[in-house]
Amino acid sequence: MSRVPSLVALVLVGVLTLTACGGSSSAASNLPTKKIAITINGSDTDPNGTEIDVKVGQPIEFDVTADKAGEIHVHSSPQEQEFEYPQGSSTFRVKAIGAPGLVTVESHTLDKVLFKLKAE
Amino acid sequence: MAGPVSILIAGGILPEHGLGGAQDLPISRGLVILGAGAAVAVSFLVLALAWRTPRYDAATSGRPAPPWLASLVDSAGWRGALRVLGLLALLYLVVTAVFGKDLLTNPIFGIFYVWIWVGMVPASLLLGRVWRAISPFRLINAGIARLSGSEPGDGMLAYPERLGMWPASLGLLAFVWMELVYPHNVDLSPVRLWCAIYLGLMIAGGAVFGSTFYARADPFEVYSTLVASASVWGRRDGALVIRSPLANLDATPATPGLVGVVAVLFGSTAFDAFRDSTRWLTFIQGTGYSPYLQNNLGLLGFCVAVGLIFWLACVATAVGPEHDRRALPGQLAVSVVPIIVGYVVAHYLSYVVEIGTQTLVLASDPLSNGSNIFGTGNLVVPYWLSYHPTFLADIKVLAVVVGHVVGVVVAHERAIKLLPKRHQLTGQLPLLAAMVCFTVGGLYLLFSS
Repeated sequence: MSRVPSLVALVLVGVLTLTACGGSSSAASNLPTKKIAITINGSDTDPNGTEIDVKVGQPIEFDVTADKAGEIHVHSSPQEQEFEYPQGSSTFRVKAIGAPGLVTVESHTLDKVLFKLKAE
Repeated sequence: MAGPVSILIAGGILPEHGLGGAQDLPISRGLVILGAGAAVAVSFLVLALAWRTPRYDAATSGRPAPPWLASLVDSAGWRGALRVLGLLALLYLVVTAVFGKDLLTNPIFGIFYVWIWVGMVPASLLLGRVWRAISPFRLINAGIARLSGSEPGDGMLAYPERLGMWPASLGLLAFVWMELVYPHNVDLSPVRLWCAIYLGLMIAGGAVFGSTFYARADPFEVYSTLVASASVWGRRDGALVIRSPLANLDATPATPGLVGVVAVLFGSTAFDAFRDSTRWLTFIQGTGYSPYLQNNLGLLGFCVAVGLIFWLACVATAVGPEHDRRALPGQLAVSVVPIIVGYVVAHYLSYVVEIGTQTLVLASDPLSNGSNIFGTGNLVVPYWLSYHPTFLADIKVLAVVVGHVVGVVVAHERAIKLLPKRHQLTGQLPLLAAMVCFTVGGLYLLFSS
């Protein structure tokens, strides 16, 4: 009767110890700028809901090509960022992602998720 | 963790809809395999090694709470104070809803989606039946009863027993629809309308059916009371007792509709994780149909699938000819409660800490005019969990696995009470398979989103 709780405890301790050494996050400062090309044509976008890997602290640049002017939101926390892009080509410097996490980047104009930045 | 208000963290940008701020990193593949393996292993260990005669009896389990505590929580003063607290909170909400600005700095969104919905889970787990204690509807109902000279428990009509908790599961579905699907969920007027309808239904329902209505049909009270059954606080013949969560869960009566409640709670939380996954996003943005329609179907599909898997597993349980197998889902549904609690902890931990604190900051300025009425306006939001993703992931997997283990043990206890001797072990297999399915599915969603 008392064997079950101790076995359970053993398994749980196992889970914890095995995972304690997994993963690492180091914010390097001299990372190359991550350039992300965004194409918006009517209601079609590229990327269209994919995941893009970046490093925590890595500078990011959006290269936007659009058939109409609009707005992009970067749902980073604690501070959001928003960019108004004109028709044609434009480039934006995005503040680096400060904490590990998934940051949604959406076209505010089209109400669509362009991609998610996976910051590790 | 992308609830609708994650965006509250933003300082002043007002998006059209509530797509989240930063979400947690997905947990690693190794951790998923480890957690899933642990869940499966523990399930079979419990089956093979645990007790074979019923261990808990709701009529005798638990020891009485210390007399001072019991007399305190049962005193008219304490009960009245909590009710007044609930009423003041309601008045505060009404003021923010009516006179507050339609901005994300209005604390009503964080209170509605984070404090009430998510915060209620840890509160009920630690303190017991929180919503029941502070429910302003019970106070209003008692006031009406006193004026008319009747008992608060009696309404004009007896609450139909067969209806059970089905109204609450509909109410819960209405809430999660608002939270996860409705595109304008962080606009003031829809939230206000939702709350007004809820308020009206609760007051009318209580007037017609008495306070039984709240225990069966108030979605928040039903959720809170269900989570409280996994706490150490219980009642035996009305007296406050302290007992292990296992014994407390076992003492939970099988009410009609409990399967519906459990299906909506687990299905919606799973859908919340799923709808953030890139797979779902690329899919719904690529089909050409409206994402709104597809999210509606997705939410409904998840809830129905969870209910169906559970129902089928219960009905597939081997029983003797004298047993009605259609009664089994209701009798076993309580075993899913710890799985729900574990998954809610995993899914919302960083969300409730970060956005919950942010809401406390905003709550101090309910009308967005720069006031700081509670003195909490300058609190610093703790992002510690976000900065320690490995630790956060460990906690998540631990919560899911612990929830699973407790659920399996509760199901085992129920099974040996209900099933004939020869089916006691094999009879548990379908349900065990369903629970492993929920847990591994939940872990997979934490990994893929």
